[in-house]
Amino acid sequence: MKLHEFVVRRLLLLIPVMIGVAVFTFAIAHIIPGDPAAIQCGDRCGMVIDYTEEGDPITAYEANRIRLKMDDSVSVQFWRYITDLVEGDWGESLLYHRPVVDVVKDAAPITLEMSFLALFIAYPLGIILGIISAVRQDRMFDHVSRFFAIAFVSLPIFWFAMMLQLFLATGTEHGGICDPIFGTDGGCFPIYGRHDPSYTYPVDGYAWYYPAGGTGFHLVDSWFVTDEKLASLPSEWGSNWLLFKDTLKHLALPCAALGIASAGSLLRYMRASLLEVLHEDYVRTARAKGLSEIWVVVVHACRNALIPIVTILGFSIGGAIGGAVLTETVFAFNGMGRVAVTSIQYLDFAVIMGVTLITSVIFLLSNLIVDITYAIIDPRVRLE
Amino acid sequence: MRGWDEGKRDRDESRRRLREALSQSKSDLSRSWKIYRRSLLAMLGLFMVISVSLVAIFAEEIAVEHPYRNLQDTEDKWSIDYEPRRAEPFSEECDWHEQKITTNPNSPLFSEIVVAESDDKVGDDNRYYRDTLSVIQLIKLENSLGYDLNLSLLSIDPSNSSLLVLSPELYGNTSLYAGVWVTYEFDNEAMHHSWLPDGYDVCIFGTNDQGHDLFSKVVYGAKVSLKIGLTVATLTVIIGTIVGSISGYFGGRVDEVIMRICDIFFAIPGLILAMAFVAAMNQITSLTIPVWLGILFPIFVLAALSNTYLNSTVPDDDQIIEQAMSLIMRYRGALLALVGLLFFVGWPVAGWPDFFEISEGRNWRVFVALGLIAVLGAIILADRRFFLNTSFEGGLGRIKDSFDWTNPWRYLTFRTLAVFVSLALLFSFSGNEGEELVLIKDFDRLWKVQAALIFTGWPGYARLIRGQVLYVKEMTFVEAARSVGAPPGRIMFRHILPNAWAPLLVAFTLDIGGTILSASGLSFLGLGAEAYTAEWGLMISESRRYFLLSPHLMLYPGMAIAVTVLGFNLLGDGIRDVVDPKNRR
Repeated sequence: MKLHEFVVRRLLLLIPVMIGVAVFTFAIAHIIPGDPAAIQCGDRCGMVIDYTEEGDPITAYEANRIRLKMDDSVSVQFWRYITDLVEGDWGESLLYHRPVVDVVKDAAPITLEMSFLALFIAYPLGIILGIISAVRQDRMFDHVSRFFAIAFVSLPIFWFAMMLQLFLATGTEHGGICDPIFGTDGGCFPIYGRHDPSYTYPVDGYAWYYPAGGTGFHLVDSWFVTDEKLASLPSEWGSNWLLFKDTLKHLALPCAALGIASAGSLLRYMRASLLEVLHEDYVRTARAKGLSEIWVVVVHACRNALIPIVTILGFSIGGAIGGAVLTETVFAFNGMGRVAVTSIQYLDFAVIMGVTLITSVIFLLSNLIVDITYAIIDPRVRLE
Repeated sequence: MRGWDEGKRDRDESRRRLREALSQSKSDLSRSWKIYRRSLLAMLGLFMVISVSLVAIFAEEIAVEHPYRNLQDTEDKWSIDYEPRRAEPFSEECDWHEQKITTNPNSPLFSEIVVAESDDKVGDDNRYYRDTLSVIQLIKLENSLGYDLNLSLLSIDPSNSSLLVLSPELYGNTSLYAGVWVTYEFDNEAMHHSWLPDGYDVCIFGTNDQGHDLFSKVVYGAKVSLKIGLTVATLTVIIGTIVGSISGYFGGRVDEVIMRICDIFFAIPGLILAMAFVAAMNQITSLTIPVWLGILFPIFVLAALSNTYLNSTVPDDDQIIEQAMSLIMRYRGALLALVGLLFFVGWPVAGWPDFFEISEGRNWRVFVALGLIAVLGAIILADRRFFLNTSFEGGLGRIKDSFDWTNPWRYLTFRTLAVFVSLALLFSFSGNEGEELVLIKDFDRLWKVQAALIFTGWPGYARLIRGQVLYVKEMTFVEAARSVGAPPGRIMFRHILPNAWAPLLVAFTLDIGGTILSASGLSFLGLGAEAYTAEWGLMISESRRYFLLSPHLMLYPGMAIAVTVLGFNLLGDGIRDVVDPKNRR
């Protein structure tokens, strides 16, 4: 089978899974007790707001039911839900009073930026430490790094995040271990949020100086802030580089909290994978040729040991999005995780469905990309 | 048909084989232990798991006081203004329970106010404890403006230290009198665990904003967490194994459907799915099933299980099967239906909840049903020759023989045990509430978390087991079993699963830790345990308000989670090393 056939086949296989996810989210949103119509009108549900043509009163509650088309049968509602999804109408949030698509569009970049940066740190760290650990098998370094790897996997993310806040984001007067180096209050890192709060709108921490139609990734957007907006900012903010640095500084702790578990598990996988490869014949051949040990490990062994690591990438993206729920709660990021928690707490049905769908789309696509990459880099893989 | 004595040779042979198998497994175990012992980390993990388990088991003895103790008067004679009182670890403040108590000066008792009795719903058993508080010392008296009053206006009743005596000026004078600060201690054996010397009340980890002793809460939290971890891991393993082995063994369309369902589960991040599921169960207060389902389900389960059992016990000789099917097998369904009917309909009418304190006069149903269970069990246990005999002649003797320790066919198999365990579980969970059978009476938030984690967890195991089954299925011994005509159930349980258990055991151990992490994460998000439960994740979540002022509130619960999960992860790693074929020498 050719590669492009494989890709098309995998894409087609996504369709039933996506339909399944849609059914699933629809079912969950309908099982969750609570009446969206009643939630929306609150204590004014009994108020008469209109009259039918026959002169019967219509209460706010009934009007909501009509507007949300809740009186149709479940199958009709489901069909409408699916067709609306395809057309890009994901419903409207009861909590934010905005279309779900917009809510998700605002939230997704925040989570993605954080998770990607976390994995970007975790991967090199885990892989390099894993290699050292495998080369120095059963030595002191191996034992220590393995212990820490498994210990970091065992840490509850939210607790670790809070400990980071405590030690690195509060000043020494509160028990932190470092004082600010960048000139803000508290410790050396900001304690929460995506920006310095003094230059953002209080609601949602919205930063007005970022371009409106930007990517949403502030590490990128910070380079596209226009000069007049920069000029209106105070001097310690007034350049693209400083904005970028501010974003990076705010991302440091969340990424550390999110990435540390991935780094730990990667170290373990890399170590196991490399140890397996080091016993292969071609490694022995390479050694017999008289190549230096570093050359053997880095060029001959690592390249093959890295292949199975690629598959883990797919799962770690899923894990990172799951972990983002906790990290974002601790660091007050309004990413998808936070939106998911809030929407479930306030029974915002449309948002629950939207967030679940979008996270699963991200997960499935990243897994697809991983599979394709795997097929490309490992010629032994049979495409079936 | 052979007589009892003629079977002696068989019995001896069977015993010899059993001895052999036992010694084999014993040497297997000791070899595994030798491999396990080699790793320091694995030993550390074992030590951690054992110590956490011991803490959980002996939580009541270790804890300094009951973690849920929360003083509130049920009769509204007084109230405690809960000023968050957070004592630092080992601080002086821990030694006295100091509290401001607002009492009602218009107390019905003349010139006396009771400060000291509270009914409190505590513990997993949801029982009420009466907590009496005896006042040791009056600290200060406040009027409504917050100024101190003369302490002599109030005194402790000398005969009863839980009564305060109001002076005539104070009595009925609401404007003058507002509250009293006292130090107190609790008088309740059920609530106070006294391994500490008398009058020496140290708080090892400090107290939280409700004045709860943090050490006791952390200790009790071990109980909660281990319970969640074990329950969820066990149930997910069972569900995942069943689904996965069906998927792997039958393959084809069944496999395709099950795996696509699993794909859907994998596509949604577990934590978000679990959150949504907890929310979906929001208004369920008790887990019930309709009576008809309660009758049908156990009957189906029992019928299926005993069918598998009989299939695996009776050799695959057409004639023998025919004979065996002839009588008992034919009426098996009716027999089981009868038992089920008595079990699940008769008893609710008779009053299930009374069973453990059997009242006289209404127990005949209990004993009849127990007797029927015994008969059923005996039939299942009886040797296969029972089925060779088409008449009931000698049947009673056979039942008697089946309880004879020397009978080779008597050994309990896994499935027979499963029948009894499931009966016992259904037995103890059932209650009667109208048309429904109550499986779990108090389906609280902790149960919801467990249900959500089971719901999200099984596909992982299903996939794991499916892979294993697909791998083992191709081996020659399975083919051999299939070629002699063994039924799928027998192949599955006797041949495939015993050879696929190793990765399952590893995954199970690791999953206990993972479950504890997820459950604490859910609690942290406010979707888990109810407020002020001794659950580690919830304790951390509640400590966020006092993040800067008292970090000790989040330090200890977090460390407890980390140690427990680390222990299980290290244990799982150690077991993986042991079952890894590369290490077997």
